[in-house]
Amino acid sequence: MKHLALFAAAIALLALAPVVLGGHGLSVMTLTLTNLVLAVGLNLVAGYCGQFSFAQAAFFGIGAYTTAIMSRDLGTGVWINLPAGIIIAGLFGLVLGVPALRVKGHFLAIVTIAFQTVVYLTLVQWTDFTGGQNGILVPGVGETSILGIIRFNVQSLDSYYWLTLALAAVAIVVAWRLVHSRLGREWIAVRDDETLAQAVGVNTTTTKLSAFVASAAFAGAAGALNAYTMRTAAPDDFTIFISSIILAIMILGGKGTFLGPIVGAFILTIIPESLGEFSRYKMLFFGVLLILTITFLPGGIMQLVRNARTRRA
Amino acid sequence: MTRLHRRQALRLIAGATGATLATPAIIRAQTPSELKIGGMLPLSGPAAIEGHQVLKGLEFAVKEANAAGGALDREIVLMVEDDEANTTRGVIAVRKLIETDKVPFIVGTYASAVVIATMQITKEYGVPLLSGGSTSVAATDANEPGNPWFFRSWPSSVDQGLDTANAITGRFGAKTVAIIHDSGSYGYSLGDQVEQVVKDNGGEILSRDTYNAGEQDFTTLLTRIRSEKPDAVYIGGWAGDGAMIVRQATEVGLRTQFVGSGSMVSDDFIELAGPASEGFAVATLYEPSTPNVYGAEFGKRFEAEVGQAAGTLNSLGFDSTSIGIEAVRRTGGTDSKAVRDMIATGLADFPIVQGPEGATAAFDAKGSVDFPNFIAVIKDGVRTLA
Amino acid sequence: MDLFLQYLANGIVVGSSYVLVAVGLTLIFGILGIVNFAHGEFYMLGGFAGIGLATVLGLPLIVSLLGVVAFAALLGFLAEQILNRQVKDKDPTNSIVSSFGLAVVLQNAALLVIGPQPMLLRTDLSMVPVEIGPVYLPLQRALIPVAMIVLVGALHLLLRYTWVGMSLRAMAQQPTVARMCGIRVSRVAIVTFMTGAVFAGVAGFLMSSVFMVHPLIGNMIVLKAFTVVILGGMGSVTGAAAAGLMLGIVESMTSAYLGNGLRDIVGFLMVVIVLLAWPQGIFGRKLERS
Repeated sequence: MKHLALFAAAIALLALAPVVLGGHGLSVMTLTLTNLVLAVGLNLVAGYCGQFSFAQAAFFGIGAYTTAIMSRDLGTGVWINLPAGIIIAGLFGLVLGVPALRVKGHFLAIVTIAFQTVVYLTLVQWTDFTGGQNGILVPGVGETSILGIIRFNVQSLDSYYWLTLALAAVAIVVAWRLVHSRLGREWIAVRDDETLAQAVGVNTTTTKLSAFVASAAFAGAAGALNAYTMRTAAPDDFTIFISSIILAIMILGGKGTFLGPIVGAFILTIIPESLGEFSRYKMLFFGVLLILTITFLPGGIMQLVRNARTRRA
Repeated sequence: MTRLHRRQALRLIAGATGATLATPAIIRAQTPSELKIGGMLPLSGPAAIEGHQVLKGLEFAVKEANAAGGALDREIVLMVEDDEANTTRGVIAVRKLIETDKVPFIVGTYASAVVIATMQITKEYGVPLLSGGSTSVAATDANEPGNPWFFRSWPSSVDQGLDTANAITGRFGAKTVAIIHDSGSYGYSLGDQVEQVVKDNGGEILSRDTYNAGEQDFTTLLTRIRSEKPDAVYIGGWAGDGAMIVRQATEVGLRTQFVGSGSMVSDDFIELAGPASEGFAVATLYEPSTPNVYGAEFGKRFEAEVGQAAGTLNSLGFDSTSIGIEAVRRTGGTDSKAVRDMIATGLADFPIVQGPEGATAAFDAKGSVDFPNFIAVIKDGVRTLA
Repeated sequence: MDLFLQYLANGIVVGSSYVLVAVGLTLIFGILGIVNFAHGEFYMLGGFAGIGLATVLGLPLIVSLLGVVAFAALLGFLAEQILNRQVKDKDPTNSIVSSFGLAVVLQNAALLVIGPQPMLLRTDLSMVPVEIGPVYLPLQRALIPVAMIVLVGALHLLLRYTWVGMSLRAMAQQPTVARMCGIRVSRVAIVTFMTGAVFAGVAGFLMSSVFMVHPLIGNMIVLKAFTVVILGGMGSVTGAAAAGLMLGIVESMTSAYLGNGLRDIVGFLMVVIVLLAWPQGIFGRKLERS
């Protein structure tokens, strides 16, 4: 109950952000929440299930292009495109999960990089379908309603922010339920000792595949919505560097912890945006932070928090 | 500046933690003594070289305008944002320029994908966007005809391809042509167009090949093309790749007329390709030796001030910025919608440095200015207009 | 036929550069179990160091080469401190993340210090033709396979016949036993990293007169090197040599007979097939993949 109350309070406070923030600040906050959904999703497969992935931006892109292509060719609206983005990204997650059944560790990392590269090259080169480097324009969400009951008009930056906040809130709740379900415990079992997990009757095949699907579905949801916020889907937003930023968010916050990717998303999105005239050192800062975290704080910020707590206890 | 950033940071943190009620929003709008204008260019990332060249044009235009008394009796200050040639960054950058700096117009940007994404946002805010190097016809086609919010004071890539292809069959008298282009949208659209025009003019396309931008080895491809004995080879892609192709062509003994896309107009291309660039032909919007008198004078002033010969990228940055500033002067205010209307219809007498003698900022219904490209040929390491 | 031989020669030249980069990558993986994403940056920095020494300082090429070797060895030493010493006994994916971080740092440091402008090493060798039958190559290109054979041959002898080489191989096969037999593990790790970095740096220097050098060039090179390492079997030096040449030749033939647009895709397809069919690589020995 305490958790739930805190969570509701945090969401309520975040919902007030448009009152104080200008357009730029709000853009950064929207990006933060999008990164949050991506990192929370990545954490399911990489943090809880122990299956390293460099491909989160690929699924993010698949979600965004689902929105863009369906809007363009079928004229569907957000309430069809968003679930479609989740499902299609999830299916691609299944595709990536299959080789993960055969390879581990380093090899899995390389396979996920290969997957990320193939998706990116497809987006760039299949010009007829994906619009090539220029991407595809996406119409705004506009007037819409939930089940015809609650009507609202999504046009201003504020409303896109609130929509993203709603998605982030749902994503956090879903992730919480997943992690604390039987499936979540099986993920952890596979991560900690695959042989043992198998011995006690965990079906490691479906366990691993489900983690990949869940992780990809989160990214698909973020992508499907982000295409609306950005009004475009263009391949350069879905490169391996975006994947590595998501990975860094998860690691800095603390992989395999629930709060880690959430904390990481705020830190690693807001700080680089606040560098101002030092923004050309942004990537350098990012690389150094990645090395330092892995070297001295492999458990991320949440490890610090935990250490502080145990010391006090 | 530092204080501003600290404030911004505080504001962000305030938003993040929800400590929102204590401080009202601090918005640093235009002050009475200075007039902020917006610039958005790729200053890091894959198009950084081009972005920095365009930026020199922007800065030079602002400097000259301030020397002439600024605008509205205020000093013009250029606010520059780096978009990294990335759409997400671009969207954030224009929102910052518009909401925080309250600029009446934005010059930007180089990558067409970023222009296409951001022009929707600037249109919603009612702020005109002037191209910072984007040439793709897709950008001006995304304008609503008769109601443009994006302006490009030079012809599109389609016109460039047309002028280049006509030069291949006409001026260079080529009957057989081999086409090489990169696999991006820019390379593809130019490749398609050159193929079409050469065929329409009665020429023959011997082969057409693509490469991925950044590919390093072209020797086998060029060896094969050598065996086809084309009268001319057309290259569509980034300058660095074009330079490698021309260099390696000399190494494999492929000697023919090479013609490149407008992106290869820079001096960096000549520098990288070395002696192999002799005779290379390229479409250009501006050369210091231009017959355009206004443009030639700009070239002299630019070289004296900046210390390098003015090129296409510098000149287009200069034109876009000068057009925006002139529109502010003529409107007599910073209302961005009025500035847009002035750019769209009120500057048909305003001279530009690009293009032939007498070229002006007379935008058509789609926000483009059309004039024929020059075709320059590299002679003794310098582009010369015939 | 003449054209075919020319295509073959082009493929061997490019393949040789792949070999030089991939050998170091596979060595570091085979002996230390580290996937080094920063390997392409050794190549990039080797190229820039060579251009700096030869062009800016005007040193003779052979002196510049020695300078590049020393510089690359230093880089390898530093990389070992960051990638191996610190993260060694933890999660194996940690080294992937930190080497990725190192690659980002080196690329961006190069961008800030040197700038994004591509550079080329200008030598007098480009105009000296080498003709072998119907095949024609400029001298600077013809030298690359020669250098590759000399360097890989030397490495092979070193691994086979010297004390250092035996320590390295022992480490690769049985780290625990090797440690018990008195091999100084930390020294082996340093030597491995320095050797790998020197190979990549020298390759960067040799290729800087043929291909452009710019701060992001490592991305492309490391991708090719990974392709080679996977095809050759991770950890196998001879496998990397054979696979590197094969990839160069296959790319050249694809470009010649199927169309240039397919060359990168063909290499990629080979990787996918190999990973699915022979996870230990075409030339690799069987080993536990984890």
